[in-house]
Amino acid sequence: MEEPGNLEVAFDQVAGKSFLSSIMELECGVRTWWTTEFYLDGQATGGQGALFTGWRIENRFRPWMGEHRINPVLYVEFEDINGADKSLKEVVGHDVADDQLVPNVEARQDHQRELETKLILSSNVRGWDISTNLIGEKNLAAEPWEFGYAFGASRPLAFAVTPSPCTFCRENFSLGAEIFGGLGTWRQFGLTGTSHYIAPIVAWQLPSGAQLTVSPAFGLNGNSHTLLVRFTVSYEMEQIGRLFRRSP
Amino acid sequence: MRTALLVCALLAAGNPYEGKPDAVRAGAKLYGRHCAQCHGPTAEGYGRAPSLRSARIQTAAPEELFHTITNGVMRRGMPSWAHLPAERRWQIITYIRSLK
Repeated sequence: MEEPGNLEVAFDQVAGKSFLSSIMELECGVRTWWTTEFYLDGQATGGQGALFTGWRIENRFRPWMGEHRINPVLYVEFEDINGADKSLKEVVGHDVADDQLVPNVEARQDHQRELETKLILSSNVRGWDISTNLIGEKNLAAEPWEFGYAFGASRPLAFAVTPSPCTFCRENFSLGAEIFGGLGTWRQFGLTGTSHYIAPIVAWQLPSGAQLTVSPAFGLNGNSHTLLVRFTVSYEMEQIGRLFRRSP
Repeated sequence: MRTALLVCALLAAGNPYEGKPDAVRAGAKLYGRHCAQCHGPTAEGYGRAPSLRSARIQTAAPEELFHTITNGVMRRGMPSWAHLPAERRWQIITYIRSLK
């Protein structure tokens, strides 16, 4: 969840075989229990040029405040994208690598309005951040619900920080790993015809407040991309609401 | 049950960084990164975020401050900081208690 009043701007890149997708994210903490986010998606494919593929808006709600052994967050997203979208923010249903082989000129004709829901269960255990995402996505044009999952864990390289400012010290780096994939549809639930990935994650918090994250995702079966390289740069603007308020 | 006992034992042990000058400086660094945006760069508070120099905060038990940072205070818009490792939360407390 984003701290109330903060705005985080992030640029996500996903590089796959002959394509590069980009997402711009604006994430805003509205309340302690409510975060909202807006996305703009685009992609470039070798020999086919670049195009805007759509937008998304999502809201996350934390129903129980305070720290519990498992902290649930409810996630609801509306997507208005076309079939050329290659952002691969998550994998659901029978999403497979071959979906990205359809030429842009053809894929962009397929207009998709989708509702995506997630139950996010997170825990903090001895410095480890552990998160499980259970995903359900519905194309509003009468297709069945599609399901997916993601499970990840990460921890900083050093739990305590050093007294002096530093850029490359261990406290500024986090290491982790994520596994994610599809679970079929309401009619064909299961692993048949689905794709799955495992991805180590390295995050580097710069003293300026920017964060860089690199995560190569390796396909785990024949339906998956062999390799997707994910790269994110984000910057958090603190308490931007105060810019428009008078001092107390 | 074992985890609850471990947490209780850790809390009963108090602040492991109390009185350590390095922890005060480390806590100041963390304060600037995570807390100053709401409580102000000099910890004197802003809007709903209270002054951390007040007698109420300065006389509170370290374990109480740890509990507040860990769980947040919803009615005042303070989020949970449980995602920070416990060592960092104690370093922040060490800095806050150095402000009196």
